[in-house]
Amino acid sequence: MRLLLVEDDVMVASGIKLGLTGAGYAVDWVGSAERALDVMATEVFDAAIIDIGLPRADGLELTRRIRQNAYALPILILTARDALSDRVQGLDGGADDYMVKPFELPELLARLRALLRRSQAATSATLSFGALTLDTALRQAHANGQSLDLGPREWTVMEYLLIQAPKPAAKDKILAALTGWDKEITANAVEVYISRLRGKLEPHGIALRSIRGFGYRLEHAAGAALAL
Amino acid sequence: MSNNRSGLSTGLQSRLLTLLLLPLSIFAMVSAWFDYQSAGSAAIQQDQRLLRLVPLMVDSIVGLGQKPNEPPVILLAPAIEDFLKPRVGSAGYAVSDLQGNVLTGDIWLNSPTPTTFEPEFHSEISSGTTFRVVAQRAKTAAGEVVVQLADGSDPQQNWVQSLIFKILLPNLLLTIAAAFAVNFAIARALKPLIDLKDAVERRSPRDLSAIDTEKSPQEVQPLVNSLNRLFATVNAQSENQRRFVADAAHQLRTPLAALQAQVEAWAQLVTRKSAAERALTLPVDEKSTVFTEKNGDVSVKRSQFAIYLEADEILRLQSATRRTSQLAHQLLALSRADENSAAAQATSRVDLQTLCEEVLGQQLDAAMAKQIDLGMEAQPIAVQGYEWLLRELLANLVDNAIQYTPQGGRVTIRCGRAEQAFLEVEDNGPGIDAAEREKVLERFYRVAGTAAQGNGLGLAIAQEIARSHGASLQLQDANSAGGVARGLRITLVFPNGPYARIAASL
Repeated sequence: MRLLLVEDDVMVASGIKLGLTGAGYAVDWVGSAERALDVMATEVFDAAIIDIGLPRADGLELTRRIRQNAYALPILILTARDALSDRVQGLDGGADDYMVKPFELPELLARLRALLRRSQAATSATLSFGALTLDTALRQAHANGQSLDLGPREWTVMEYLLIQAPKPAAKDKILAALTGWDKEITANAVEVYISRLRGKLEPHGIALRSIRGFGYRLEHAAGAALAL
Repeated sequence: MSNNRSGLSTGLQSRLLTLLLLPLSIFAMVSAWFDYQSAGSAAIQQDQRLLRLVPLMVDSIVGLGQKPNEPPVILLAPAIEDFLKPRVGSAGYAVSDLQGNVLTGDIWLNSPTPTTFEPEFHSEISSGTTFRVVAQRAKTAAGEVVVQLADGSDPQQNWVQSLIFKILLPNLLLTIAAAFAVNFAIARALKPLIDLKDAVERRSPRDLSAIDTEKSPQEVQPLVNSLNRLFATVNAQSENQRRFVADAAHQLRTPLAALQAQVEAWAQLVTRKSAAERALTLPVDEKSTVFTEKNGDVSVKRSQFAIYLEADEILRLQSATRRTSQLAHQLLALSRADENSAAAQATSRVDLQTLCEEVLGQQLDAAMAKQIDLGMEAQPIAVQGYEWLLRELLANLVDNAIQYTPQGGRVTIRCGRAEQAFLEVEDNGPGIDAAEREKVLERFYRVAGTAAQGNGLGLAIAQEIARSHGASLQLQDANSAGGVARGLRITLVFPNGPYARIAASL
């Protein structure tokens, strides 16, 4: 995965670059909006991390120009300002997510993973989490190269959990997704499908954690390597 | 409290009453004295008139009766006629012999025979009327007789009665009426002042907005103006202070972001290195690189020096950096949560259930790391408020609960409606002693002996945010079974009315 980092603060940039490199990403770092547009004209990136406070053209302006040039890559905006209007402007200007500086590296990585997965899903119709891959076009599930046999309702639950990950999925939302199949379905049925999915996912290092009063979340089982 | 509330009015009222009634009483007494004086002078005049008339009365006896037992012949002098005529019933005369037998005139006049030839005055009551009677022994055509003249229009004898009925009573009534009138007038006149006092008293101690001068009466406007000037000064100072904290916290963020980005990257390397490798040597290409920027591009220059850090040193550094970042963030949040600052923003409809779900999602990893069962019990409910402030509040409460609850504990987020809409976080940690509950809401206060990391701002922020929503923050034991306080339940209770309503669409 190749990322573009646009940040004028040397310390912040080197820290983020070090962190992202350590997590296995290839990072190209530029210090201005103008330079970023130059680089993007020739290179292809999977995602961009853009600081709002850039010299001359700021990060919001850069985001707008990237979208005007019809680049579809996901954009994560970094800001030291947390005023609501900045966030709204950033998201309205075409950014996909924002983070307020200073931030913790694990959170940045989690948000990047979510952005990348969503953009992958949009372009390739596959959803993945850890060893698990769902091809929504072919309706085929794979884990560690093995085919997973999922019933239609199990598939619906699995798909919804994957779309939500790493955030937890609400039980009533899962239920709502299932009512397309069966109008009479009850909350207990959700538990049945979850328990079946657990059995199928556990051998591949993926856990389904129950969140009391809320729903379920896909997690990497303890000991499983953190995959991108 | 009620004493305090009426203190101003009764104080002023009693002072005004005293100040007004004292001269009024003096005035009444002076007027009574004048009345007495005039009554006295009228009595003297009456005596003088009687004295003047007595010789004429004596002269009116013109001769003896024709028979021995007949009264003497009397031919009243015109002055006597003039005296008696308008005073029928209240004036009279009598002629008696020296033995006291009335020869002619009003027989009830039977004053003792004077021993000298000087006129003698005395008072006599007859059929309810007090008469001033003058008696004179005189030698007349009818021999030596006693002549008496009585005047019932007797001011001197009646002055005590008249003083009571005609002077004191009206004065007393007047004084009482004046007291009521003054009381009423003072209450009316002081009402704006009392209203002003009440308005100032009713304000929250944090409300430093100007008092409306339009509504204050003219007399207190200088007072209102100086109060407003004072408010404005205090306001400006606290606003300056708030802005300073906000600016300082904000300015801290950029260097902190740099520091944290570096430290987080090292910490990531540390956690990724195998546990067996105790001492960390940063990879050659990463440990000692210095980035310089040239024309917006970046080149990497290798430094001469390398340092070696223990893995746990880096993790401590990471922890310290995270805490510093959190402090900067919370200081900023605190200054933004300030009532006046929050009031400048528009409120919106906040779906508490969604808020609970989002905060739960954010805090899940922190809870998992401590094997804490983080869950929720949410009913659909929405309130009118500042969404980002409520999120900050809930995140702070949940973060606190996770920090202070031991491994394997249980934290529950709740929202719903009992009497009022509420937002609640309950844990089964050590709880907070009742005596400490007030203090934990203060800034930078931390319960003594707590091991968890924290800067003592979380609950202060929550309190500030509650205040800006007109809501109350309540701290309770989650359960007090067996007399041992265990767990903490913090509830934010929203005010009823237009601020809270159940969303029909949910």
